[in-house]
Amino acid sequence: MTELWVEKYRPKRVAEVVGNRESVEAFTKWMKQWELGRLLEKKAVLLYGPAGVGKTSLVLAYGKEHGYDVVEVNASDWRDEARMKAIVGESSLQATLDGSTKKIILVDEVDGIAGREDAGGIAALNRIITEARVPIVLVANNPWDPKLASIREKCLMLEFRRLKKAEMMKRLKEIAEAEGIKVSDAVLEKLVERSEGDLRSAINDFQAITGGRKIVEEHALEALGSRNRVREIFDALRMIFNVKSIRAARAALEGLEVDLDIVYTWILDNTPEQIPDPMDLVDALEALAKADLILARVNKKQEWRLIRYAIPIMTGGVAIARRHKPSGFVKFSFPSRIRLLQSTSAERELRKSIAQKIAAKLHLSTSKALSQMLPYISFMVSNDSGMGEAIARFFEFTESELNYLRGGKAEEAQAHRRAGRRRRKG
Amino acid sequence: MSLKEVSMLPWVEKYRPKSLDEVVGQEEVVSSLKNILHTKAVPHMLFAGPPGVGKTATAHAFARDLFGPNYIDDGYFLEINASDERGIQTIREKVKMFARQIPMGEYSFKILFLDESDQLTDDAQHAFRRVMEQFSVTCRFILAANYSNRIIEPIQSRCAVFRFKPLGKVHVIQYLKWISDNEGLEADDQAYEVIYDFSEGDMRKAINILQACASISRRIEEKTVYEVMGYVSRGEVRRILELALSGKFTDARDDVRRLLYVQGIMPSDLVSAIYRELFYIDLDEEDKLELLDLLGEVDYRISEGATPEVQLMAFLARLAAKKRA
Repeated sequence: MTELWVEKYRPKRVAEVVGNRESVEAFTKWMKQWELGRLLEKKAVLLYGPAGVGKTSLVLAYGKEHGYDVVEVNASDWRDEARMKAIVGESSLQATLDGSTKKIILVDEVDGIAGREDAGGIAALNRIITEARVPIVLVANNPWDPKLASIREKCLMLEFRRLKKAEMMKRLKEIAEAEGIKVSDAVLEKLVERSEGDLRSAINDFQAITGGRKIVEEHALEALGSRNRVREIFDALRMIFNVKSIRAARAALEGLEVDLDIVYTWILDNTPEQIPDPMDLVDALEALAKADLILARVNKKQEWRLIRYAIPIMTGGVAIARRHKPSGFVKFSFPSRIRLLQSTSAERELRKSIAQKIAAKLHLSTSKALSQMLPYISFMVSNDSGMGEAIARFFEFTESELNYLRGGKAEEAQAHRRAGRRRRKG
Repeated sequence: MSLKEVSMLPWVEKYRPKSLDEVVGQEEVVSSLKNILHTKAVPHMLFAGPPGVGKTATAHAFARDLFGPNYIDDGYFLEINASDERGIQTIREKVKMFARQIPMGEYSFKILFLDESDQLTDDAQHAFRRVMEQFSVTCRFILAANYSNRIIEPIQSRCAVFRFKPLGKVHVIQYLKWISDNEGLEADDQAYEVIYDFSEGDMRKAINILQACASISRRIEEKTVYEVMGYVSRGEVRRILELALSGKFTDARDDVRRLLYVQGIMPSDLVSAIYRELFYIDLDEEDKLELLDLLGEVDYRISEGATPEVQLMAFLARLAAKKRA
């Protein structure tokens, strides 16, 4: 898949963030207070407002511009306190004692915690805000759930509104210019209108109708129908997870102009949340696994006609497996696999370069270097017996590679200390 | 590099056998290869056997014994890893570049060593077979593979097949003791036993464990080994199965994804690790049987080209629906 424009054109500096200047400036001011080490009245910040108006982008842009690592935590990581502490607690307590990069903790979909009756999650988040030594930024669409009251009290509340048409037009034009695309204002205006102040969906729509072409004319908009692309996927998902027949589920994909692989990932990653009953989940995932196998055969043997079996199985199989529904509405979410790949690309690059260095010296494939050598080398370089340094020189590891290899050891030491603390408490 | 540093090399490299005489635990293979050295009639060869028993080391030792200590710099020997160069096109190019020129000097042929050759697809193997034929006058091929049955018949029939045995405990421990003496380490018998158990007869793993132990202490005891292995294995697969069994399916899924996509562990290794853990998990025997059956299916589907992550999720969902025994 080509790079998504919403990622490619994410603002890299705070000044590039579109719209909502007041909240943007208030956030910057709050961060500056942190940096000066002032005692703040509000220890965390809560950015709230509709989707696609720049809440997350602002935090990422600030991080990039001012040299912070933004550690993203998603609502789905909040199921239990131990896990939450492991993620947020450690990152927030580490602070900059070890001289490593500064961190901002970004907690996405905070309203999701309230929806899930995850009382432990809210309590732990409260504690972490109180104890935190790094800036914590919460993001929510709707922060007004009564359960979030205690969190709201601790937070500087900054509202993000739907973006103005002129602001969005300007951004879309910049993108068109950067991509070298000829497009009339009329087309862009339609995109802006349709998006209802949601810049992300407008950019997604723009990329979708462009389809790699350099000139975009008005009739390209017809491909969008009356909705935008992501919303189409949401509609398809809503059908798949709510109909009772295979025929109806299959129909959900009709006219959907999205790659089958992408639809598959959306179905796959929403299945566990939408299908809470374990036995139902077994059937749903078996159907998805069978469809995957069929698609593999299609690719391998170029037997295109077999696709007709994959589609009803991956949609209908999931639909009829869902005999029990979750209590309450569970919203569909962006595939976590894609999120994982995006958020770990730096780490994966680093591991690859380490593996290549090991492989070259030791007559191994890179995959064997990763699985069979890296853990031991990581252990050796983490101990300051002189052996570690010589080995690092032997493989010609860079400073950041070495830090990464030593990081595993530090992480483990922390886990030990954590376990020790728990034991003493218990 | 100073002398001191040389002594610090990764020991798997430092203690790699330099000649066939130093290869341990493969007496039959070594004696046949020595015969070949004697007659200088070198056939194409296939080295088959489990990981860490000396296939790559033997190929190097053989070439060194045959061509002399500068066998690589003199241009007599090239090593390619099939797992990193899956495209037959790159292999063909590399082989061509290497084999095209007839070597100057005593020998009229070179040796190309293709490691992990069972990683090549069937199509690539057929193409490779033609490459072998095209260049067989100037180039002999040594292929290494874990499973010879994954090598297509036409290649097998053109090769002398050598089977490498799993290394026995005696051989592994003997070698470790020799390294310890060289490095001035003190280790007790109990420690060697435990290292061997963890190594499962894989010499590379055994030597790595020993060196990791030596990085924390010159005096190695059983608990030193456990400290290393506690760090290295981290019980990730065990934890994934436990998460699933506790009904935390999405947590288990996220961990599987991290292993596959971030840590880059090979799907086949992950399936094998699950296979090993499955016998010890807290389930009824009937349930274990059902899951073994399913894991076999997962394994097979992956070999057919299905997406490992998706197939493993189906497996974890089944596990998540089970009750603890």
